Amino acid sequence: DEIGLIPCPEARYNRSPIVLVENKLGVESWCVKFLLPYVHNKLLLYRQRKQWLNKDELIDITCTLLLLNPDFTTAWNVRKELILSGTLNPLKDLHLGKLALTKFPKSPETWIHRRWVLKQLIQENSLPSLATKGNLGAAPVERIHRLVQEEMNVCSEAAGRYPSNYNAWSHRIWVLQHLAKLTVKVLLDELLSTKYWVSMHVSDHSGFHYRQFLLNALIHRTVTDDNILVQNQMVNEQNPSLQKGEESAGTEAAFAEEQSVDLPRRLDEEMELCTELIDNYPGHETLWCHSDETLNNSHHSPATSHMAQAMDVDGLNESSSKQGYTQETKRLKRAPVQDSLGPEMEYRFVDKVLSTCRDVDQARFATAYRKWLVTFLGQ
Amino acid sequence: MHVGGEVDVRSAYCAASVASLTNILTPALFAGTAEWIARCQNWEGGIGGVPGMEAHGGYTFCGVAALVILKQEHLLNLRSLLHWVTGRQMRFEGGFQGRCNKLVDGCYSFWQAGLLPLLHRALHARGDPALSMAHWMFDQLALQEYILLCCQCPAGGLLDKPGKSRDFYHTCYCLSGLAIAQHFGSGDLHNEVVLGIPENCLQATHPVYNIAPEKVARAVMHFLQYPVPSLDLA
Repeated sequence: DEIGLIPCPEARYNRSPIVLVENKLGVESWCVKFLLPYVHNKLLLYRQRKQWLNKDELIDITCTLLLLNPDFTTAWNVRKELILSGTLNPLKDLHLGKLALTKFPKSPETWIHRRWVLKQLIQENSLPSLATKGNLGAAPVERIHRLVQEEMNVCSEAAGRYPSNYNAWSHRIWVLQHLAKLTVKVLLDELLSTKYWVSMHVSDHSGFHYRQFLLNALIHRTVTDDNILVQNQMVNEQNPSLQKGEESAGTEAAFAEEQSVDLPRRLDEEMELCTELIDNYPGHETLWCHSDETLNNSHHSPATSHMAQAMDVDGLNESSSKQGYTQETKRLKRAPVQDSLGPEMEYRFVDKVLSTCRDVDQARFATAYRKWLVTFLGQ
Repeated sequence: MHVGGEVDVRSAYCAASVASLTNILTPALFAGTAEWIARCQNWEGGIGGVPGMEAHGGYTFCGVAALVILKQEHLLNLRSLLHWVTGRQMRFEGGFQGRCNKLVDGCYSFWQAGLLPLLHRALHARGDPALSMAHWMFDQLALQEYILLCCQCPAGGLLDKPGKSRDFYHTCYCLSGLAIAQHFGSGDLHNEVVLGIPENCLQATHPVYNIAPEKVARAVMHFLQYPVPSLDLA
């Protein structure tokens, strides 16, 4: 379940350089300079049609190559061909990639290939005749769910192995968008499951950005669901005689409620998390940025303002300055400041930080935040 | 980026850069591209690899430069972009970081600092009265200090930060960043700000293409002689 290189410049004994301990594969470093050129060359000769390799050999060679250097695109491409010809099970590549990522958590080519494999798997899934074929025999929905969960794990591990792992987090977002379809359930689940992780990685800007992504997706989702609800109501009003129409309106309402995210509460919880982390870990710019943006969202989110018709989805997508020095008066006018509790608490918090902190950076972030509160909230 | 490869904002820049220099840029070729790039700008003000992603210096440069080529910079929120990029210059080191809360890196001397000439031009086109006529909106001297004092390898070549080894990529982008930091504007408005001895002064670089401005002019002139190839399949 993990690979690594064992620093060992000289072969001391006449024995294999492969070391396997508790399911972890190690390779003594002295052998790499022999092994890598050998397998690399073999693959190139195959590609140049100068030397044939059969399917099993190809699988072995590419596997070895990729565990030594996963950014070797050609090797991944050979495996793509094998998958397309039906000789290689795509799930094997997911496993190979996962293993490669334990040593090379950023490897761009590994992530890219992974997305290609996942796209293949979804396509297989959508063909009803193939739904029960092969691996799991489980219902397609269940399969997708398992794939998604596994991807979340792989991303989480890779993120832990390298700070602010852009590629891991970007893959995570891709999976949610393309496999999980950004359902409310998965967004909420992810918020919950990453809460502990970000608390353990307070300078990981990518981790916190992920939470911003989740919150934004939730806001967007609520807006869309509300839109659908409103549209359905309008349709039903136009056709009061349709029995079916009334029923579905009822179901729609129930559906919407069930799915409805208590957005203000989510955003409040996020602010609480920020506050707690800022208090415990002074001087991390990421936390202050995250705080700024969450507060921004909780005041501008259509779900918290009564102007639901504005449905200012575009306004949300328009990037907001994280510290609000700009004259975004248009947006300020649109969303009435609902609760004065929010800002007051923030002021008290910032003042407390300023009076008690001893970290220079923390003081600087707090001062900037205070200035922003004043400009932004106009109080 | 290549057939079957990843899709992100860098490829838009590569395509726009090549197409504009070789005079094959047509509206059809880039239909929808500018709008897609604009969607990559996020709440932080910077631009990510694809819509939804974290703001990142490399991708931000590619996005903005591509939009400048396509003459669509106004699709971005320039103020939040300006705010984000200026926040990326490190107050202690003088160099730039690639993303919030990360470490300084010599190559961002170009990807990040290089945004300021582009922004300056875009804001100037809007008639912004507050723009300086002598300096970019970042600390040019501090950046030069970081590059000259921290990013040079004693055996030649430049690098990310002290302790790292030299490579061509960092050599290229540290030098490009140094050139940006030393030269403001061009022609009548040209203002040189050189840290240390005059011999430290590099040739200016073109802020969009990062090659010498004369080379850009020559390339454009050369390819204008040829007609724009048609996309019709014969």
